[in-house]
Amino acid sequence: MSEKGKRPPRVKDVQQGVWTPDAIAEIRYKAQLGKHRIRGCGTPRKLPHFDDLVVLPSQLTRMSIDTYREHCETQTVLGARFAKKPLVIETPIMISGMSYGALSKEAKIALARATDIIGTSINNGEGGLLPEERENSYKQVVQILPSRMGFTLRNIEAADALEIIVGIGAKPGLSGHLMASKITKEIAAFRQLPEGIDLHSHPRHGDIFGADDLCLKMDELRDVTNSEIPIFLKLAAGRVWEDVKIAVKAGVDGIVIDGAEGGTGAAPVVASNHLGIPTLPALVQATRALEDMGVKEEVSLIVSGGIKDGADVAKALALGADAVALGTGAMIAMGCTVCLRCHEGKCAFGIGTQDPEQRKKLNIEKAAQQVANYIRGMTYEAVILAKAAGKTKLKSMEREDLRALTLEACAMTGIPLMGSNYTFGEMFGFC
Amino acid sequence: MVRLDLVEMTSREVNQQLKKLIGTEPDIDIYNPHSIHNFATALIGDGKVTVHGSTGFYTGGFLEGPSLIIEGNTGWYTGDNMMAGEIIVQMNTGSNAAPSMVGGNLVIRGNSGSRAGWGMKGGNLVVCGDVGRWTGKMTLGGRIVVLGRIGEGAGESMYNGVIHTLDPGVEEKLGGNVRLIPIEDPEKKELEALFKQYDIAQGVDDFMSIVPAVYGRHDYSLFEPTHTPKSSLPKSQARG
Ligand SMILES: Cc1cc2nc3c(=O)[nH]c(=O)nc-3n(C[C@H](O)[C@H](O)[C@H](O)COP(=O)(O)O)c2cc1C
Repeated sequence: MSEKGKRPPRVKDVQQGVWTPDAIAEIRYKAQLGKHRIRGCGTPRKLPHFDDLVVLPSQLTRMSIDTYREHCETQTVLGARFAKKPLVIETPIMISGMSYGALSKEAKIALARATDIIGTSINNGEGGLLPEERENSYKQVVQILPSRMGFTLRNIEAADALEIIVGIGAKPGLSGHLMASKITKEIAAFRQLPEGIDLHSHPRHGDIFGADDLCLKMDELRDVTNSEIPIFLKLAAGRVWEDVKIAVKAGVDGIVIDGAEGGTGAAPVVASNHLGIPTLPALVQATRALEDMGVKEEVSLIVSGGIKDGADVAKALALGADAVALGTGAMIAMGCTVCLRCHEGKCAFGIGTQDPEQRKKLNIEKAAQQVANYIRGMTYEAVILAKAAGKTKLKSMEREDLRALTLEACAMTGIPLMGSNYTFGEMFGFC
Repeated sequence: MVRLDLVEMTSREVNQQLKKLIGTEPDIDIYNPHSIHNFATALIGDGKVTVHGSTGFYTGGFLEGPSLIIEGNTGWYTGDNMMAGEIIVQMNTGSNAAPSMVGGNLVIRGNSGSRAGWGMKGGNLVVCGDVGRWTGKMTLGGRIVVLGRIGEGAGESMYNGVIHTLDPGVEEKLGGNVRLIPIEDPEKKELEALFKQYDIAQGVDDFMSIVPAVYGRHDYSLFEPTHTPKSSLPKSQARG
């Protein structure tokens, strides 16, 4: 600037290009500490999302269903491929695995109670099954993680479904991180860890070294469970098409796909921001893989990662999901503000903390009711869209009910661009 | 005594049979095991099962109570998530023995592969021969005893638990985040009792123990340059 008294603009004043305030902050962090940053909540990056699709309403080509007076079935059956007792929930919205450790005991109990109010399932997450969670939950999914902390035959006996976890969207290829601030005496005892350690679990299972072993492991688990309960497998979204096929071959009853926008209690920022693909294209690939194998009706498909409202649910179902799972959304319903500091363990709302003082701030009853309300409200929204699209069952949503708002979404999903019946890229049922 | 011939049975059928027999038949003898996988999965109750031959992967997974004796070898993941009871393998096992074991005793008279006792949480794993790399990786509890040689990376990132070893070269083969200390007296007594129980002729005085190095923080490095920076060399050697 030549004008007198005005200083010339500096790089930091230019809010675009490579050197954004974020990029500068990250460089300063590394320059000071010589290591990568760990943070909670998953990636803040803007990624392609279900909002890039719209639902086509019924008009003359089909009749719409009365929003307020006619019924639309929401009950959802998952894992009926081989299990004698599939998981039956009242809405296709589940609560995903969030560990006791990342979350406070109060938050876990509140989430469990919410599932009982609304009739859905909770998932214990890493680090063992809290007895209070099981006592309060409607349907209990128990995770089998590489770390196996707190995992015994008793957990399996308490489960309505099992979930072998291979990865999560927020840090695929990496393992559970639980920072020292959350490893209190109680958590340490529960997980058999030394108090105050920074935990970095292992990403591979000590008893599953590859896909062949997974087939045998599935047989073992069928023996253990007498084939009664469903066994799901959770995958972070990467090479979805191939991974899903391997999981189907291994004999799972259902597959959980966690997209790159998925939440976490703590993960390296570089992993959340740069590993894996978003939920939307991941779901399309998963559906395509199941259809290729002719098992779409047999193998349940559950998606998670950035699911926030009933529109996401309706669209996910239309794209082939049988259910969705919520992490961050359920936390927000309890009061979380997505401050990205879950890893610090100081959560002022008593959710992502083990601090006895902070924990007192969460009113379990109120939080449980809020989560239940949130899931009820989401289900209402999904039902509104489904009925408007002429469905008497939520699960009847189909890809023909969708159109893409952007060229990008059209290419990624194979759903025709709005105002047209044509698509490009891989076809996904349209021509 | 009951005799089961596995020649034409699947592991599912075998396990269903065993579940019916265990607790009522004190002695079950298994013939023609043809290295069957998933043998004796989640077998709960009291009784002795003797296998005249070898079994495959995941032998005795989630076992809770019985005594399982394998006269031959076993595959990978023997004693997977084992809860209680005992497994005695008279010969060798594949890798990853006793992964995430919760309790009970797994005694291997021969050698075991790499990663024995991975993520173990309780119980005793005794290997009378040698073990491969990364023994006791990330254990959360329990005791591993190795009478023969131990491979590299021993005890990598153990959180809790102990590995007792006689390997004279162990110091060079320790994994990260562990340290080597002499065996303590109460541990010697426990080892003596264990050896007596399984007729293992071995003194206990010379054992060393691998234990977690630091309670409270593990140290990792994701980048290990091999050069020596000029700035750390004495001035006379620094060039350029
Ligand atoms: C606080 C927190 C803890 C989590 N802990 C686990 C866990 O223990 N095991 C797991 O499989 N996923 C874990 N996740 C990931 C969730 O299961 C789920 O995949 C993810 O939250 C879905 O994305 P969303 O948060 O956008 O809904 C955690 C997520 C959060 C937010």
